[in-house]
Amino acid sequence: METKNVLVIGGGIAGMTTAFELAEAGLNVHLVEKSGFLGGHAIQYTCKATAECLQCGACSVEKMLKNVIESGNITIHLSTEVETIERSGGYALTLKKSAAYIDPAKCTNCGVCYEKYKGTGIIAQGYSKNNFPLYAICPEKLNNDAAALKSVCPEGAISISDAPSFCQISVDAVIIASGFAPFDARRKGTYGYSRFPNVVNGLDLERIKRQYGYLARPSDGQPAKKIAFIQCVGSRDEQLGNLWCSQVCCPYALRTAASVKHKNPDLDLTVFYMDIQNTGKSFPVFYETCKDNIRFIRSIPVDIFPIENDCLNIRLFDESEGTPAMESFDLVVLSTGIMPNPDNQKLSEQMAASLDTDGFFKHADGLDRTATAAEGVFIAGTAQGPKTIAASMVQAGQAASGVLKYLGVTK
Amino acid sequence: MTTKQQNQVEKIHLETTVAVIGGGYTGMAAAKTLAQNGYPVILARQENDGAWHDTSLTGLDGLKTLENQVADNGPIDILSQSTLIEAVGVPGDFTLTFMSEDRRVEKKAGAVVVATDLSSSPLTFIYGLTPCASVVSLSELESLLASETGQKEIGDKKKTIAFLVGFAHEGNPLLMQRVLESVRKIVEMDGCTAYVYVNNLKVAEDGLERLYKQGRDNGAIYFKLQTAPTVIQNNGDLRITFYDPVIRNNIELSPDIVVVEESLVADQQNISLAEILRIDLGPAGFLQKENVHRLPVNTNREGIFVVGGGREIQGLSKSLADVDNMLLQVRQLIGGGEKTVAAKAVVDREKCTICLTCYRCCPHAAIYWDDKAVISPAACQGCGICASECPMDAIQLTDFTDTEMTSRIREAAAAETKAAAPKIIAFCCQNSAFEAGTAAGLFHYDLPAGLQIIKIPCAGKVDINYILNALVEGADGVIVMACHTGNCKSESGNTYAKWRINDAYRKLEQIGIPKNRLEFATLASNMASDFARIVIDMEKRISQK
Repeated sequence: METKNVLVIGGGIAGMTTAFELAEAGLNVHLVEKSGFLGGHAIQYTCKATAECLQCGACSVEKMLKNVIESGNITIHLSTEVETIERSGGYALTLKKSAAYIDPAKCTNCGVCYEKYKGTGIIAQGYSKNNFPLYAICPEKLNNDAAALKSVCPEGAISISDAPSFCQISVDAVIIASGFAPFDARRKGTYGYSRFPNVVNGLDLERIKRQYGYLARPSDGQPAKKIAFIQCVGSRDEQLGNLWCSQVCCPYALRTAASVKHKNPDLDLTVFYMDIQNTGKSFPVFYETCKDNIRFIRSIPVDIFPIENDCLNIRLFDESEGTPAMESFDLVVLSTGIMPNPDNQKLSEQMAASLDTDGFFKHADGLDRTATAAEGVFIAGTAQGPKTIAASMVQAGQAASGVLKYLGVTK
Repeated sequence: MTTKQQNQVEKIHLETTVAVIGGGYTGMAAAKTLAQNGYPVILARQENDGAWHDTSLTGLDGLKTLENQVADNGPIDILSQSTLIEAVGVPGDFTLTFMSEDRRVEKKAGAVVVATDLSSSPLTFIYGLTPCASVVSLSELESLLASETGQKEIGDKKKTIAFLVGFAHEGNPLLMQRVLESVRKIVEMDGCTAYVYVNNLKVAEDGLERLYKQGRDNGAIYFKLQTAPTVIQNNGDLRITFYDPVIRNNIELSPDIVVVEESLVADQQNISLAEILRIDLGPAGFLQKENVHRLPVNTNREGIFVVGGGREIQGLSKSLADVDNMLLQVRQLIGGGEKTVAAKAVVDREKCTICLTCYRCCPHAAIYWDDKAVISPAACQGCGICASECPMDAIQLTDFTDTEMTSRIREAAAAETKAAAPKIIAFCCQNSAFEAGTAAGLFHYDLPAGLQIIKIPCAGKVDINYILNALVEGADGVIVMACHTGNCKSESGNTYAKWRINDAYRKLEQIGIPKNRLEFATLASNMASDFARIVIDMEKRISQK
């Protein structure tokens, strides 16, 4: 049988897993990623182990990224988007590659460009050693320094042209794995995100952990001692119309809290929550140990305001006491939810695959959440709805299985 | 016979029949999928298979329809009333013995798929309640709501129904969905009222938050409590009381019906299946540990897969996703029935005294014996635990022979370094610390000038001789880096490594070598900065001597 070609849109954990499974099954896979790096949001997360692994799945992303780059059947298109798509038996696509990129054929990962432009945001560094090139150009930060930037690279790997380049490919099936957008916490104005330096979100916290190795306060780099986690920021929010649980934030907050507490037992940790969601099969046991080490308060705070020394006062209505309460913290972590990727709208129109009322891709079948109403178009991961790393991987495998069946490789 | 000579690629034949254990929805879907794809299936069923199933989805093919489809799909050998009593063999060549309708039946299979169901029971007793017409389980309420007479009984009498959820156990989205669905149905009936006393609302599943809102919009009232309310049952009369801190008073209600939550647990027979199939029993009696290397449907044994309720509390949609993933795995393992495999570990049959240490310590059950120990190339994961444990040194890994390791250690110890820099040899598991160490270099973290990283397949391969050799050859410090507990791809490699380090400490003490020259650490592949910190700390400690 002639080798089939497939397109996977999105290089996060779901896209990578689908691509890898299809490559393992002998298909030619085009993996298109808009940013300069594979790994998506999931690769940005750090290990949450205490004395033992807490199954956050971050290392599975690392492993899958390695699988993808080592697979011989996957063509990786970084800094690339789908420009046009046409049905023609299969699908004929035009891919648009950013005008500015680092050529993997020439890059040696020397890091000269990154060092030279440190602090400007023009050159970003990948999160994983398996990101190749390890550096990428952020076109939106690029002003008039194109010529200067080009000359920085000793290998001549930096390619900047006036216009994006286009290439045509034909595929037999498409998998949409466009991922999610983290909730923009500025929309919850009373929490002061981006106004108060020591109010951060989960991804900020991951960057802080990477940079300092401990939970530092962005305001002064000093170790935070008293930390609050606020759950359901942007999720389960009727006022915003976000009627979904993001499914990942309770596991994230609990694992993070357990992990940092293990490393530094002096930390004073509080989780403000509506309802704690499960982490896995050992949740009942894990939750009990968490309760021994972490304070849980069933209330979503009303607002946050700064006090001296860049500390923060959290005001809330304490439901167990039935009274208003106020308490100060060094650092506040907002568990921001999973929102539909704004690109979904355009992708939906291109692929003729519809979105649900929330803006995630709609599955056509009640049971199989990877099938869309469009022929030969499948969905995987958080493009379809909130999911953990593990759940994204399971669904990605199912999407791969669906593609194989659609192409007649399996029955 | 040297290991190099033995290191041959061989073509093996794999039995294409797949045995599916469990005949509920998931098991039958697995059987159907496999049969459609040309894999003859043995479907081992029990009488009550499918007794509990995910009722949250409507418009589902009935169990009977699926049964007929399974029967129509050709090569499916259904063993009814059957229990697995013995399993031997390796991937591609398992021999399974069942007791089926009181007869002993032996079957050959290339792979095994375990698809046991979840089971459910009412938790009425935990609340101290006695089941009666006004104290019902969630399933009983669902049957009422599904029947015309039941609907009439509730609807016409405009009943008030109270739910108790999440106090007898933590609960999960699958049970929550059923509560929310029932609540929605009740409040849609004119004049009926639903009160839900709930601990944590488990809404981490598509659509549940919206369903929760729908119910509330239609008048359902939720009391979110940390502890169960007091429920007093006096014959048919019910009184539920709890203290509301906001109004500083007790709130008391007398519903017509109290609906008590149910448990949802792993099948009891998982325990014996784990023992017979030699697969690890995970938390709460599920047949998969929470080791991320097992995702999505793998067990510690190659060729034995677990799907649906056998591995996790999950409904039909997710269970069918497991079935799809299982098909990918079976195709990769068995393919068309023939496959070329390279031995990762080989036994020197002249040295082997068939003590069976290897058989006992192999976490993947890849070792069996004829007159000597034999390692199945299809099952072996190449961790090397057996090679390090073998008292006769009769096992060698083809990619990491002891001879090669010894010379790597010698080279590392002899490597040139800055005059004053202590030499540190780090034995790093290829799945975790080796990745972290490589990343630490690439990300330009400060690393000791005298650091030498030696890649090992698994920390379980670190022989005590490696450690002692490294010190003898001139290393100032030795560090063994394994995966975190629960994250070892070979389950126990890190444990074996830890034991050997402790053993080495005792030996060092006897010889008089300071203990701080040897260290054990656990890491994940994405912990480059931690890697750097650990080795730098060690350098500092050694330099202080």
